[in-house]
Amino acid sequence: MAGHLVKGRFPRRRLVQTAVANLLRRVFQSAARSWARNIASNAPALGSMTLLLVMSGLIGLTGFALHNLEQTEASQASLLHVYLRDDAAGADVVSLMNQLSADRRVSTVVYVTKEDALKRAQRIPGLPELAQASDSNPFPASLDVQVKNIDDVSAIDASVRGDVSVDPVYPTSYDRGAYQRIQAVLFGAAVAGVAFLALLGFVAVMVTMNSIKIAIHSRRDEITIMQLVGAPRWMVRGPFVVEGAITGVLAGAVAGLVTFSLTMTGISLASGTFTQFAPGISISVAAVAAAVVVLVGLGLGSGSSLISLRRHMET
Amino acid sequence: MRPIIEFSAVSRLYGSRRALDTVDLSLQPGELAFLVGPSGAGKTTLLKLINREIRPSSGEVWVAGIAAHQLKASRVAQLRRRVGVVFQDYKLLARLTAIENVAFGLQVGDLRISEEEARDRSLDALEAVGLGDRAGAFPHQLSGGQQQRVAVARAVVAQPPLLIADEPTGNLDLETAWGIMDLFEDIAAWGTAVLVATHNVEIVTRLQRRVLTLVDGRLVRDQPAGKTGRMAWLATS
Repeated sequence: MAGHLVKGRFPRRRLVQTAVANLLRRVFQSAARSWARNIASNAPALGSMTLLLVMSGLIGLTGFALHNLEQTEASQASLLHVYLRDDAAGADVVSLMNQLSADRRVSTVVYVTKEDALKRAQRIPGLPELAQASDSNPFPASLDVQVKNIDDVSAIDASVRGDVSVDPVYPTSYDRGAYQRIQAVLFGAAVAGVAFLALLGFVAVMVTMNSIKIAIHSRRDEITIMQLVGAPRWMVRGPFVVEGAITGVLAGAVAGLVTFSLTMTGISLASGTFTQFAPGISISVAAVAAAVVVLVGLGLGSGSSLISLRRHMET
Repeated sequence: MRPIIEFSAVSRLYGSRRALDTVDLSLQPGELAFLVGPSGAGKTTLLKLINREIRPSSGEVWVAGIAAHQLKASRVAQLRRRVGVVFQDYKLLARLTAIENVAFGLQVGDLRISEEEARDRSLDALEAVGLGDRAGAFPHQLSGGQQQRVAVARAVVAQPPLLIADEPTGNLDLETAWGIMDLFEDIAAWGTAVLVATHNVEIVTRLQRRVLTLVDGRLVRDQPAGKTGRMAWLATS
């Protein structure tokens, strides 16, 4: 009888193939089965993580749009529109153009006719209606002055206000502090967004950790036996990390799909307005955001599992 | 020949209570020895030290050439693959069949073993313990003695140099217990050292193997094989 116990056949063929197959079976298949078995305890984690990731995706896209908006505002803030009187003499306008072009603080000066101003206005939401409300073209001709340094805009504005060719009622587009106000609003929005995401992230991590803790407790006999028969640590812990990763990836996939769908809906339903208020958001950006959401889900799920394992496995 | 187990001045404290007190012992390959003593004498503590479930408070524990006393947690699996363990409560996985339980013990220790090979070797082990025809049965479909045989098959299927058993016959009737002891004798005959912690007086006295007696954490007697007849009173104490 005992002869059977020591006859030992250890074929060396296909070792790598076998090891990989066993690895997949012991870690991934075991994790998938366990995840399905514990679906009830995984559901809250899946739900909260999906919610977090949807919010993350949307807030991320909003942040990207706000960043683009801020960049646009910064470049627009250094572009000073000097509005000309309708009855300004051509020589006076040329004189003012020459004066500005000669200024070292100025990068370029471009003359915009009333017709060009009207065309430009028609591309801005809301303004075409204003243009149609009047029989004549209400938009003045202007000089678009690109100032090299945004801090010099104020001085340039002051230097042109008294000029004979400039509209005395509404001389320039300069609005002291407008850019700073936009920056302050964007900064506030960013802080609020990050704080909200941090709170949601904390909740999602805690819920996922709890679901892994439940999985550990429900399989404690198996874990004990695995440890006692000499299973390496990674083989004992691996399935739990994969379980967390499954939760994260599923939540990420759902959230990525929701994020992508909402963005696509926004783009297709209100393309003009959407482009105006969410500059830079395109189909490819939405796809990248969705992929990032899936990856964040993967990281969040695996990370939460690792933390939970550190806390609960040894006990 | 280097001993398979070597304890050198090993003490283990649980808080202020001394579970093991300066124990020195060694066990040679192929040796079958019994560990006896009253409840709380330190038998389980000693077995846990061998399997590196706990560390000694002082002293050295060498198992199959590995310094268990200073083994890091991350390397414990390495030691446990060289130690087969049999428990009083069998510790079989209820959702696995007998053959799957045995294969589980084989494959978690070595990823290179294919499913087919694991199955063949597990069936060999089950046949060796007399359960070849019950390979597909789940633990709840087996008697206590049969479950313990499956546990023995799982413990030896990877051919470890050492087998430890903590009260393996505690839940079994005498006839079944003798069957398990027969298995241990066979296993030892093929070169595996076997250390059995037990309260079973009849088995200890009749088998005439080496007996180590623990009382209050101290190894008070180390009776060589063939001279164990006088030990009955200790086992019953």
